[in-house]
Parts: sequence; structure tokens; C-alpha cells
Amino acid sequence: MVGETSQTIVVAGGSLAGHTVVTELERHGFAGQIVWVRGREGTAPYSRPALSKELIQGKVTAETIRLPVPQPYGPRVRIMDGAVCAGLDPHADRVLVTQPDLSERWIDFDALFVCTGTQARVPEAFAGLPGVHSLRTLADAERIKDRLAVRPRTVVVGAGLVGSEMAASLRSCGLPVELIVQGQLPMEAVFGAELGRFCLERHHANGVTTRLGATVTALTAEGPVTLTYDDGESSTADMVVLGLGAVTSCDWLDGCGLDLSDGLGCDEALRTARPNILAAGDVANWRHPLFGHRMRVEHWSNASAQARHAVESWLAGQEGRQPPAFADVPYFWSDQYGLKYQMVGHARGHDEVHVEEAGTGGYPFVTYLRGGRIVAAAGVNAPRAVMRMKARIQADLAGDPTSEEVYAR
Amino acid sequence: MKLSVDRTLCDGNGVCMGIAPDVFDIDDDLNLHIADEIPDDPAVQAQVRQSVTSCPVLALTLEE
Repeated sequence: MVGETSQTIVVAGGSLAGHTVVTELERHGFAGQIVWVRGREGTAPYSRPALSKELIQGKVTAETIRLPVPQPYGPRVRIMDGAVCAGLDPHADRVLVTQPDLSERWIDFDALFVCTGTQARVPEAFAGLPGVHSLRTLADAERIKDRLAVRPRTVVVGAGLVGSEMAASLRSCGLPVELIVQGQLPMEAVFGAELGRFCLERHHANGVTTRLGATVTALTAEGPVTLTYDDGESSTADMVVLGLGAVTSCDWLDGCGLDLSDGLGCDEALRTARPNILAAGDVANWRHPLFGHRMRVEHWSNASAQARHAVESWLAGQEGRQPPAFADVPYFWSDQYGLKYQMVGHARGHDEVHVEEAGTGGYPFVTYLRGGRIVAAAGVNAPRAVMRMKARIQADLAGDPTSEEVYAR
Repeated sequence: MKLSVDRTLCDGNGVCMGIAPDVFDIDDDLNLHIADEIPDDPAVQAQVRQSVTSCPVLALTLEE
């Protein structure tokens, strides 16, 4: 048992990070009450990465992507589905919760875990137009999937991870797809030019039409959707999917006095300036002790690992120990046209790349360096080469003299 | 500790391999290989538990 029976922990957010905080508190035998404010979606947690990949392609269903509950939640877990945190008292440990019937109430807490994540970025002028979709939630994915039966001509706007995966998934369903790339290459912001070129070639080889260096300036939806671009050209579609990135969901913390400059600012141990308020997942902005700068990471592995860590940090504080720094090396993957893209590390600010081939496919394998140290690596169908770099990055950034040895392994 | 994988679900996403590289290995054809013996080391066993609950396609099962 840890904690006191009189304690209340509020967990804000019903996706992977919130789910993991709750299951970890249960696993540690937390003695108090957990109030889990699961958010507007009103669904049990599910695997979000599957939405733009397997779910759209019909390989999985809403039922099969539910996250497993190791055991029924204990009697001390109170789940508030459809409820959202609407405010944090700047002077007292209490959150304002809006319930599905719109009634509001304050809940006092001993600790608060902020796991409210991100939402799809949708320009105001494009919001709510018929035939125009974004993709963040299960409901979003099901709305898109429901339209596929009529075989819509689709324009995907934005070629980051979600946009590129959507284009690939829709092509795999045999639909005509045009991909609007704001820069010159898809996934360039994530992977840089070398893998961006490879990704572009894969889209073309699979029959996607691309429009490069284009920004959508207007969308009209009367019957088919008309998209107008900044160069004056236009295209029409039966369906538009926006993949324009994500914005953090922390408006509800406005005015609470915490650092909200990009997500929710935390220390190395994921605690905010109020140490009984911690953050995990897409929303958490912390200084990575190895990379030496602040970051937010919007990927699956990070949400799970940070949630686990935030619980450890809180427990350490309870027991009067120094909470450990969160130093996981970020990792994500992407599935497109049967190929597995993988990246470890954090390439931001890199000033040098090395490109070679790796894996049985001989696809490009990119190493990213900053100031002569490896900060990230990415490859296609080369899990061993990519994962080996995780230890190398860890060792290299920690200045560990055995890093060469790790690399040679 | 008995660890198994449902190969109809496993997609070679590599999350487990990132967490517990001594136990999970994914080859370039994206097939998962699990070590015959899980080391009797609490740190590795914690990694294995974390891998099971972190699998994005829920393909791993652990019996303790």
C-alpha cells in the first residue's frame, strides 16, 4: 500500500497516459481514491495509433483496439466518462469538472496528473464543413471509414505522419487520393529530406497524386468540396481529410499560474511548479536530461513511459526521495504501404545527417547528429538497425566512453 | 514468467523491443522473436511487464 486512504488523486485525460497513470497507481496499491476524468470522448481508452492505419483499412474494429484492463478497476477508482476538467484553482488544490449534463463541481485533490493530450489542429474557417474531416479520435476515424463505401475521391491536406498514413491507408483501400504537401516533401519535418524523398516516391509508386509546396487558402463544401490553393489553382474532392498537426489540450489551465508556453511545463521529473501537479503524454513539456533541451513528444511510447514515470515521481515525493529524471529516448513508428518506418531519438536542431542502407530491403537508413553527437536515427523495415541506435544515442548523449562499444555490438 | 505473442496481431511495431531489448527482437521481415529464457533480473522483468502493457496492438500476454 502507498498513500493514505484519505488522499484523492485526480487523473485528467482518458487516453493512454491517463489509463497508464490509473493502472500504475492501482499496481502500486494506492490506498486513496482515484477520480479519473476521462474527457469528452466518453469511451474506454483505445489504441490511437491504429486509427489512421488498421482501423481505416478495416483490419481492426473499435472493439479490438480497446486497451486491456489488467483487472477490474478497484472500488477506489471513480470513472467520470464524458466529463472534462474545466479549470484549476490557482490558489488551492482543486479542479473544476464539467459533467456530461454540463453541471460543474470542484474536486479537491492531493495530486493531479494532467494527461489531456492534444487535439487535431483545424483552422477555424475549415471547421464543421460537410465532407471535411480531421483525424484524432475513434469517432473521427469511424466517420471517415463510414464514407469509404461510396468510394470518395479524397484529398488529404498535410503530409506529416497522420496525413501520410491516411493517404497510404486510403490508397490501400483502392481510393483515388491527392496529397497536399505544404513543404516540398512528405514527412520532411519529421524525417528530413532523405527519408522525405523516399516517402514521396512510395506515394507516387502507389498511385497517389501529390501537390507540393501548396497551402489551402479556402475550402467550400457545396456538394463536392472545392479546395483553393495559394497559387490560385484548385481541386475538387468528395472527401477532405485534414492532417495539419495537433494542438495541446490545456486551455482549461489558463490563468492557473503554471507554465503553458508550449503544453504544460514540467521539471525533469515531470512535476510542474506545483509539485503535486504532474503531467504525462503529448501535453507534457519537460527538459530532457540527455538532449539538454525542452521537448514535447506526441507518440505512443512516450505517453506510456511518462505516465509510469510521473507516478514514480509522485511516489518518490511522498516518501521523501528525490524523484528521478525522465530520460527515455523517444521512439515512434509509422506504417505506409506495407513498410515500417521507425525513428529513435529527437532530430530537432540536427546539423549533420549520414545516409546508408539497412535491412534486407536496402532502404535508406538515416543517422542525425548535432554537434558531432548522434541524436536520432530512422530507417525503413530495419528494426534491428534502428533499435541498436537507441542504446548508442543514450550512451553518446550521456558522454559514456563505452558508446563505441555499444555501437559495434 | 511465461510470455507469449499472438502472431495474428503482432505487427512488428517495435515498442517492446525498445523497452526490453534483451527479451524482444524483431527481424527485418518484422517477425518478433522472444528470448527462450527471461533473465531472473527484476529490472528486466519490470521491462517485460511494461512491454506487455505498452503493446499498441495488444499482442503480448504474460503469465507470472
